[in-house]
Amino acid sequence: MKRTLMAVALVLTIVLLGCAGGGAGDTIKVGWFGALTGDQAVWGENEFNTVKMLFEEYNNSGGVEVGGKKYKLEAIGYDNKGDAQEAVNVVKRLTGQDKVVAILGPNASGNAIPIAPVLEQAKVPDIATVATNPKVTVLDGKVKPYNFRVCFIDPYQGAVAAGYAFDKLGATKAAILYDVSDDYSQGLREFFKINFEKKGGTIVADESFNAGDVDFRPQLSKIKAAQPDIIFMPYFFKEVALTANQARELGITQVMMGGDGWPSEQLISMGGASVEGCYFVNHLDYADPAVQDYKARYLAKYGKETELNGYLVHDAVLVLVAALQKAGKVNGEAIAKALEGIEVQGITGTIKISPETHNPEGKDAAILKIVNGQYVFQEKYAAQ
Amino acid sequence: MIQFLQQLINGLSIGSVYALMAVGYSLVYSIMSFSNFAHGGVIMLGAYFGFFALTLLKLPFVFAFIIACVGTTLMAILVERVAYKPLRERNAPFLYFIISAMGASILLENIVIATIGPTFRTYPTVIPRTPIQLGALAVGRLDLIMFFISAVCLVGLILFIEKTKMGKAIQAAAYNIKACALMGVNTDKIILIVFGLGGFLAGVAGVFFGMKYTVYPQIGNITTKSFIAAVFGGLGSLPGAVLGSVLLGTIETLVAGYLSSQFRDLIAFVILIGVLIFRPSGIMGKTTVDKA
Repeated sequence: MKRTLMAVALVLTIVLLGCAGGGAGDTIKVGWFGALTGDQAVWGENEFNTVKMLFEEYNNSGGVEVGGKKYKLEAIGYDNKGDAQEAVNVVKRLTGQDKVVAILGPNASGNAIPIAPVLEQAKVPDIATVATNPKVTVLDGKVKPYNFRVCFIDPYQGAVAAGYAFDKLGATKAAILYDVSDDYSQGLREFFKINFEKKGGTIVADESFNAGDVDFRPQLSKIKAAQPDIIFMPYFFKEVALTANQARELGITQVMMGGDGWPSEQLISMGGASVEGCYFVNHLDYADPAVQDYKARYLAKYGKETELNGYLVHDAVLVLVAALQKAGKVNGEAIAKALEGIEVQGITGTIKISPETHNPEGKDAAILKIVNGQYVFQEKYAAQ
Repeated sequence: MIQFLQQLINGLSIGSVYALMAVGYSLVYSIMSFSNFAHGGVIMLGAYFGFFALTLLKLPFVFAFIIACVGTTLMAILVERVAYKPLRERNAPFLYFIISAMGASILLENIVIATIGPTFRTYPTVIPRTPIQLGALAVGRLDLIMFFISAVCLVGLILFIEKTKMGKAIQAAAYNIKACALMGVNTDKIILIVFGLGGFLAGVAGVFFGMKYTVYPQIGNITTKSFIAAVFGGLGSLPGAVLGSVLLGTIETLVAGYLSSQFRDLIAFVILIGVLIFRPSGIMGKTTVDKA
């Protein structure tokens, strides 16, 4: 705990320094949170950089007009270290202390799910970026009034993965390895399993590990003995790369498949030859003409390639700005109301937020394959 | 049967990673009677030293390895001088040492986060990942090398302690450091050497850990398991630490392989509690004095 507090304090100082100097005119404070340290720090950093870049672009062109008045946008970001408890703390701080009118992020479902009560109390909407678990916006059949997102959800992603594995790759026996301590991983495993079995396939091994584990050989040896056609690995790139390396060390040659937790520069640098020929479900095709402009702007500003999260947070910012303009006032409750049913042309597709589920309707999934260390687009695939 | 043997190999390999880390805990505990939680931080530094020697300085592996080990030896001594020596001089209660150790561990982790960055990094491939096939069994090349070097280090350490004069002094200090000082042994020097040895092993463990898995600022957290192994085997006993590690690695693997992977950590911690209840000094721990 002490460790966490210290890290937060450290990042806070850096963030405050970075955000100092608002200038004249009124500003709209927008919160962001995600992991700036820990396993998913690459993604968090990428998201926050994108938010800062876009806000700067808006501000340089005069700001955003809300209700006939121009406002500057100000981003206040905190690190939650990818920790669920810490997510609740930073949202309390954003809403209570910083008085933000809306929050962007986080990318992880496990961090997005527990913040709902705080948002509801403060009446501040949150737009999650890559949090795909259904429970992020809908719990027990009831939509959470202040939680929104700009990505597709896991039942869909699981169905896409299962359908592609069975129909296109011809796999009939699948093994699953998942992170038992993560909501995202558990959900995706469940939806893959249901859909794969519905198609007529069998799950020959269903193994799990705990967050923080680095050795998966006991589970992999078991999977090897079960002789699957494909191994489904619904978790994040660090563990994916470790698993893939260890699997190859054990002589496992099967194709591996995963979800949107995979794509990252680091997967390739760490996994190398081990992840060659593997498939995953993604939110977009990196070669799509619609994303090229943002990609180039990011590269020019920060000197490195954007990650998957940047594209999604980019669209979250577009949705937020549209909602501000639609609402006509700078108020969390009004923004939340405006977000329902809003339709925005984003770079990852058209985002039309359904008032019933707060999810974007009809976003396609892209299937990518790793070939020669590159993510190669295969096809847009819709689950049947 | 093949499956069982493969799991046994996995278990030994995991156990040897624990062993390299656990010995560092036991070594310091035997002299100072407290758990040096900063050891995890030093292991993490070792992984980074090796990584930068390989990637930035582009040194051959053997030199990178030596640099990492020398670096961690110095760091461990530095930690002793800064975090523990002032406490020793004031005869502080042993609880203060543990708190100081935790502080040092958090400090090291955050220094790395602030200077090198929070993301994880990957060692360049020094040893190919293709396994050696023994029939249907697969044995990792890195695992074999690691097992061999760990064994050499541990045997060397035990020989040093059993056969040399300095080793005898360490044994004497482990038995009773105050009496040892009264007999004219320079205990300050002994403590320095013990921390240096622990630091050296931390370097070995760090480089191997980095090569086998990855390098990130929170590596230190992994040492929880090796600490359990050290307690299991008997804190303060080097052969005990090795035995405890190998047993823990094997038990974990077999539980994951034959019961359920979800029970893996559960069983590990149940074993720790069980040992603490029925045999507080561990399998091979000192039973004469209960320092904890």
